[in-house]
Amino acid sequence: MRNTWLVIQREYLQRVRTRTFLVLTILAPAIVTVLMVLPMKFANMGQGPEHVVIVTSNQQFGETIRKELLASPVVEDEDQSNPEAKQETKDLYTLEIDANPTEAERNALREKLSARSINGFIWLTDDAIANHQITWYGREVAGFHERTWLSTAINRVTQQQLLSSRGVPSAQVEEILQPIKVQPVRIEEGKETKSAGRGRFLKIVVMVMLIYMAVLLYGISVMRSVLEEKNSRVMEVLLSSATSTQLMTGKILGVGAVGLTQIAVWMIMAGVVGLPALAAQPNLSELAISPLAMISFAVFFLLGYLLYSTMYATIGAITTTEQEGQQVQFLIVIPLVLSVFMLTPAIRTPDAPAVIWMSMIPFFAPIVMYTRIVVQTPPLWQIALCLTILVATIAGLTLLCARIYRIGVLIYGKRPTLPEIVKWLKYANS
Amino acid sequence: MPSTQAPLYPVSANAVVASKSSTVELQNVRKCYDEFVAVADLSLRIQPGGIYGLLGPNGAGKTSTIRMIMGITMPDSGSISVFGQPLSRAHMDQFGYLPEERGLYKKMKVLEHLVFLAQLKGLSRAEARKRARTWCERFELTAWTDKKVEELSKGMQQKVQFIGAVLHDPKLIIMDEPFSGLDPANAVGLKDALLELAKTGKTILLSTHRMDQAERLCQSICLINHGKIVIEGDLNQVKAKYGRTNVQIRYEGEARFLQEPRLVQSFNDYGNYVEVRLAAGADSQDLLRLACASARLDKFEVMEPSLEEIFIDAVGKSNA
Repeated sequence: MRNTWLVIQREYLQRVRTRTFLVLTILAPAIVTVLMVLPMKFANMGQGPEHVVIVTSNQQFGETIRKELLASPVVEDEDQSNPEAKQETKDLYTLEIDANPTEAERNALREKLSARSINGFIWLTDDAIANHQITWYGREVAGFHERTWLSTAINRVTQQQLLSSRGVPSAQVEEILQPIKVQPVRIEEGKETKSAGRGRFLKIVVMVMLIYMAVLLYGISVMRSVLEEKNSRVMEVLLSSATSTQLMTGKILGVGAVGLTQIAVWMIMAGVVGLPALAAQPNLSELAISPLAMISFAVFFLLGYLLYSTMYATIGAITTTEQEGQQVQFLIVIPLVLSVFMLTPAIRTPDAPAVIWMSMIPFFAPIVMYTRIVVQTPPLWQIALCLTILVATIAGLTLLCARIYRIGVLIYGKRPTLPEIVKWLKYANS
Repeated sequence: MPSTQAPLYPVSANAVVASKSSTVELQNVRKCYDEFVAVADLSLRIQPGGIYGLLGPNGAGKTSTIRMIMGITMPDSGSISVFGQPLSRAHMDQFGYLPEERGLYKKMKVLEHLVFLAQLKGLSRAEARKRARTWCERFELTAWTDKKVEELSKGMQQKVQFIGAVLHDPKLIIMDEPFSGLDPANAVGLKDALLELAKTGKTILLSTHRMDQAERLCQSICLINHGKIVIEGDLNQVKAKYGRTNVQIRYEGEARFLQEPRLVQSFNDYGNYVEVRLAAGADSQDLLRLACASARLDKFEVMEPSLEEIFIDAVGKSNA
């Protein structure tokens, strides 16, 4: 125990004291923020409203459509986390009426589109309306929000005109055309929350990515550190004082403590910098992380790190150079990447049998079970079972890997073959 | 083989008591790596106190043997006992080890590193610091204690490593090729330190292939080749057993006498003198008479063979 503790201490202090650690801890959030915010700023900058031409059979109908379109928001403001919802439609689009619905004009507009002098045009002739099929021409396929916005406005205007032409008084027309809205309500832990869950989705992805990145980064860090001890030959002196199991667990826990420190610093920084901005958000409650999510993040981050870093330590022990280690480590990355692929099904259908089974497999559990807990808390026995399997796997793997480690760290030169490693596992007597 | 022989140490009351609990005792120890037999049924006893030389050519099994004594690897068969008890983890704190493959954490400061190594051996932090400073002073490293290991010269790093091996005052000190890479001045410093430790009653196992060093430092030796013992015992007795079969000759004139197969088994011309190994049963006086007939002699000295010669001879025979 004392030796393990000494190794943890050394590993932790040697890492935390370096300038690299300080710089990385402080600069990483800044770099990430810049990388995330800058593209958004650029996207909105220097880009004026989109120029769209509406081709109609008569000017007056076109004007009506234009008015209706400008009056209705492109994105329903029910989802406030979308910045576009806050923008006026007239800031987003410049609409121009063209009452010349000929084939020649259509070709001319197509050329303008290719020449980028307009962003798109809508073929809204009387014929098209009669066929219930109007066409949007653009350099990009119109998005979901744009299509809804267009069809709602056009439907409304044509229906208005149709009803008026049948002699319905305009007051009644308004009444008939009053839209019915669907209000999404999510029940979470017995409480109602009105939201489309965009913030929640973002939150899960950010946390899962944090687990993924941390496990990968600190795992590789463990591997490199084992390789360093091996190549600098300091290992042999250490082995004359401590057992390989003590050295391995000490190293893993030491690096893990460094990781926790780093994440804690980031959380505090995010809290200090981010809270005032978050408090200004109307849907703060959605972005706030619940205690359960916080605890399960800590638990699954730690267990995931322990599981994967044990394997990384073993790879460090059986290889001799970093390049070689990098080649072998992709075996470890595969389950990690697979569990990120399972993120979408886990968020959509957290209680589907496939997702449940996946969350029980220890190599996927840190990400999949964490996601399940955050999306929709699963039955307690499932969480308990998952944790039991995960902890048992870590314990078993530590025993196996320590055996490989013990022999591997003293072998320089050729990388051992799989049968050789299996033979090492059988040397049980120490 | 050695294990059945009586100890070759001078028999005294002390030695008899000590032999009951040798510092290290190996019995039929065997270690294989796949097909390769690194150590083959090796049995030896290291008595407490003094310097014991574990000698042998490269690849003889010295490091494999040492690693097993250190408990870093386990023998496939046979038993190892230290201080009269079967080897166990509990003994590790009594061992000091300077491995052949030397290494330290490059980014750690010298004093920190020494304290870390000593703490692993069970010393308290304060005690470790105190002792580390004293040792650093002795090896003229005081100015470097707050420098990172990578800033030190290779020789200095080696001194740091040596200090790391003895800081916790171990009873058994194992040094694998301790002099390699040291300049003469530092080598003398290290030699003095080793002799001093030996005088204070520590047992030192010195593994080397430098026979001149072993000859000067060791009381007992064990020469191994291909994982087997070739010669073992008290150095003086080993040399005596080989007999006074060597003659050193400095001469001017004809060297015909060197070609006489009845008298000369082999000779080695060192430029300033020739060292002759007499043929079996030959009388050195016959060689003297023969040499006088053809050359003018400045020196003719009958002497024991050097350890190096014994080594080359014994290894040659065991390879044959």
